[in-house]
Amino acid sequence: MTNTDTTATAAPKGRGRRHTRLADVDPSATLLDVRDLKVEFRTRYGIARAVNGVSFSVEAGETLAILGESGCGKSVTAQAIMGIVDSPPGFVTGGEVRYRGVDLLKLSRQERRKARADRLAMIFQDALSALNPVFSVGFQLGEVFRFHRGMSRADARKKAIELLDLVNIPAARQRVSDYPHQFSGGMRQRVMIAMALALDPDVLIADEPTTALDVTVQAQIMNLLAELQRDLNMGMILITHDMGVVADVADKISVMYAGKVVERADVHDIYADPAHPYTKALLESIPRVDLKGQQLNVIKGLPPALTDLPRGCNFAPRCRYARDRCREDTPHLYQVTTPGGDGSGRTPRGSACHYWEEVVAQ
Amino acid sequence: MTDIQSAGPLGQPGPLHGEATSLPPGDGPSTERNASLWADAWRELIRNPVFVLSSVAVLAVMSMALAPWLWTSLDPQDCEIELGRQGPGGGHFFGMTKDGCDMYASVIYGSRPSIAVAVLATLGVVLVGILTGILAGYYGRWVDAIISRVVDIVMGLPFLLGAITLLALWRKREWYAVVAVLIVLGWPLVTRIMRASVLATKNMDYVQAARSLGASDLRIITRHVLPNAIAPVIVVATIALGSYVAAEATLSFLGVGLRPPTVSWGVLITHGTQWALSPGHAYLLLVPAGLLVVTVLAFILMGDALRDALDPKLR
Amino acid sequence: MGRYVIRRLLQFIPTVVGAFFLLHYMVSAGIQLRGNPARAFFGERTPSPEMLAAVKRLFNTDDPCLAQEGNPLHPFNPCLGLFVERMGNVAVGDFGTDYRGRLVTDIFLSAAPVTLRLALIAILTEIGIGVLAGVLAGLRSGGFIDYVVKISTVLAIAIPVFVLGRMVQLSIVPFARWLRDNGASDDVMGLVAVTYKLDYPWLSLVIPGIVLGVLGLATTARLTRTSLMENLRADYVRTATAKGMPQRRVIGVHTLRNSLIPVVTNLGYSFGVLLGGAVVTESIFNVPGIGGVVIRSVRFNEGPVVVSMVTILVIVYLVVNLIVDMLYAVLDPRIRYD
Repeated sequence: MTNTDTTATAAPKGRGRRHTRLADVDPSATLLDVRDLKVEFRTRYGIARAVNGVSFSVEAGETLAILGESGCGKSVTAQAIMGIVDSPPGFVTGGEVRYRGVDLLKLSRQERRKARADRLAMIFQDALSALNPVFSVGFQLGEVFRFHRGMSRADARKKAIELLDLVNIPAARQRVSDYPHQFSGGMRQRVMIAMALALDPDVLIADEPTTALDVTVQAQIMNLLAELQRDLNMGMILITHDMGVVADVADKISVMYAGKVVERADVHDIYADPAHPYTKALLESIPRVDLKGQQLNVIKGLPPALTDLPRGCNFAPRCRYARDRCREDTPHLYQVTTPGGDGSGRTPRGSACHYWEEVVAQ
Repeated sequence: MTDIQSAGPLGQPGPLHGEATSLPPGDGPSTERNASLWADAWRELIRNPVFVLSSVAVLAVMSMALAPWLWTSLDPQDCEIELGRQGPGGGHFFGMTKDGCDMYASVIYGSRPSIAVAVLATLGVVLVGILTGILAGYYGRWVDAIISRVVDIVMGLPFLLGAITLLALWRKREWYAVVAVLIVLGWPLVTRIMRASVLATKNMDYVQAARSLGASDLRIITRHVLPNAIAPVIVVATIALGSYVAAEATLSFLGVGLRPPTVSWGVLITHGTQWALSPGHAYLLLVPAGLLVVTVLAFILMGDALRDALDPKLR
Repeated sequence: MGRYVIRRLLQFIPTVVGAFFLLHYMVSAGIQLRGNPARAFFGERTPSPEMLAAVKRLFNTDDPCLAQEGNPLHPFNPCLGLFVERMGNVAVGDFGTDYRGRLVTDIFLSAAPVTLRLALIAILTEIGIGVLAGVLAGLRSGGFIDYVVKISTVLAIAIPVFVLGRMVQLSIVPFARWLRDNGASDDVMGLVAVTYKLDYPWLSLVIPGIVLGVLGLATTARLTRTSLMENLRADYVRTATAKGMPQRRVIGVHTLRNSLIPVVTNLGYSFGVLLGGAVVTESIFNVPGIGGVVIRSVRFNEGPVVVSMVTILVIVYLVVNLIVDMLYAVLDPRIRYD
């Protein structure tokens, strides 16, 4: 975990590289194991290190929440796992994404493409822009079956109707030939979910699935997702900036800041005693009914520019615990043991803070 | 007639523009924002070789039109008809025109009517466009309804066909007739851009604030609305200059534009097209047409570069 | 869809009337300002009053409203009476005659097939090559093809059609001579002819048609490129990739369909450019089409014939635009259900 210089082991570039194969999956291996993932964007203003050595894992039936402000690299992480980073300017420069033991980053283009939708699927934030405006939802759903399963148009359409039923869209048979703009926001997100579930994937990545929705609809969609995840025994990665959503759904959390995981823990541990100043600050910035009338704590300052990351701890400039050491010495993910959460959770706790003990103690 | 149509929705504000809410009302936000827009654009432009080259070409052509004697000591009127269509050589590097005048001098002096028509037409289009655009966007309601309808109708008329029709009825085709027709058919383009820009600015919080503090319409328009809209208008005007130079030539070729004894590029090129296919006379076409194409190209590339630099969305 | 069509049809009528009024008003103002075109018809000669009156009647410019001497508001009298009369004539298909007494509608119809063939070749060039070039450039923006397309489209926009036409002829003449000396077939010679040949109603229009299509081609290519690049960044393209669709389908179906919407919308406008360009191209390549008639009328100072021909062309143009609008609705479902 601590060694960040594993780029040497990253996939060798060029035509001659050996591909892994999807057929080699080991059913007993971890469902999805991301190790030291690195993604950078090469722009005219310099290289932006959007994801800077991120590791986490998900098992079947488990929900991992990745939490962080916008721009911290959580969406890029998801795209890198799916293999849909816009390239150029984005490049996955290191790490592994092991699906049941097979490193997806080393698959051939063809195999990678087949893995999408079939093994891993993704739900996007804004369903209105994520659905193609000029094709009916039936066409867009059916397409998955036609290209992955070789179904006829008519069969694919039947499947599409079944899926719309599955995500509780009323009058699915009629609505299947409607276009995305004819659906309400919540219904569109249901279509999005249906599309992701089409081929019964093992891993579902939901990138801020409820951010674009009304609060009441948000709850419905989250409940639907949680329910489907349980029923289909999927491993889910829920990307969000909303701590409230996390508490209800997730089993464990990775908190990201400036392209790195700064804290990871089981969900109840993190709420009980956060072990990283950033997590702590995030929790304090949630408005609370019982503290009405008091000044809301906000995190001062802005996240660092990814093209120009500071030396030492990335959070130091905004951190109230920071001292000189933080500005020199990059903290690795320390093993955290707290009275509440030392071995009781399934995940070993970690915090990338030199002074985590102090943070927990307060 | 060329690419001015696709000049783009550059006047529309980005999401950032809405954030001026908490700023004090007054001139602050718009002037500052514009200052930085122009400063950024300028920094980008002087580093863009396309812009630098095209501006040099534009300046050269403008100086030809303003001060042709800087470019040649020959008199374009000093013609001998028996030397007509004599090819390059003997002190006349670019040969002689159809009427036996020095081609180089004719082309230099010929820039004057061509550029004058283009510049005047562009000025007219911009003035009429800005005025009608502001009226439509700022006052809305029936003013807008009428102006927008007229804009639709004028834009619905194919440019070249419209110009031919109007000019065909003129017996003598004076330069001002050509200018007038170009303005009559061209203004709606600027109106549309201006109107969109005004509509976008009008409802911005700092403008509302200025209004609630009792700023007059004139002040709001000159202080807030115009500075916001001027960038896209400049882009369109630059490209329009180029296309009007080409339009003058095309109309002359069709026999409805400038005519001899006026010597414009259009007139020279028209003579060129009549003779180009007879052996040895291609230069009659290629010399004036070459200069025309370089000029039009320079204006279009300059406009493109300006658009890239001034459109914040492309950053 | 039905409501959209009806709405467009209803909007069509005021547009046509507006366009006609604009033409009528400007023509009337021109006559009021510059004198009756019947006078111009005689050039430097001075006609007898009877002859002048006859030509005025022939050109339908004998309305007293057009003679504005002594009118303080001259030349801003819109001659509404005359406009209504003319609209009536247009409604029954009466566009007047030329000075020989031939019906303008007859002249138009006899010249139309040639122009139609020319326009067809031009449109095919414009769409076929334009979209292809735009897609190739947009897929690898900043690449070699993009660079080539960028330069050639800017050049195509900067070179006026009549200059381009002559330059194409200039470069073809020696080539055609070489072909003839090497015993090329008649068909090939028809193809490389620099003027229209009656024997080759299609072949000899290929080069003029391509020349005519070049301007629109450049616009189409640029538009396709920009639009494709914009759409390639769109979220739904990422969704299609995330669904495991092959690259070919992501671009060929999901992206292209959306990218072509602005291209189709632009077709209407570019048809107008095409009509104007046809006048120029036909004149350069001696094509006996509608453009040729317009130019001849300009040369013979038959202003009213020009006005009538252009009026018919404007009708054609507006109808084409109406069709393009319908096409737009077929391509973009968001429009259909408004």
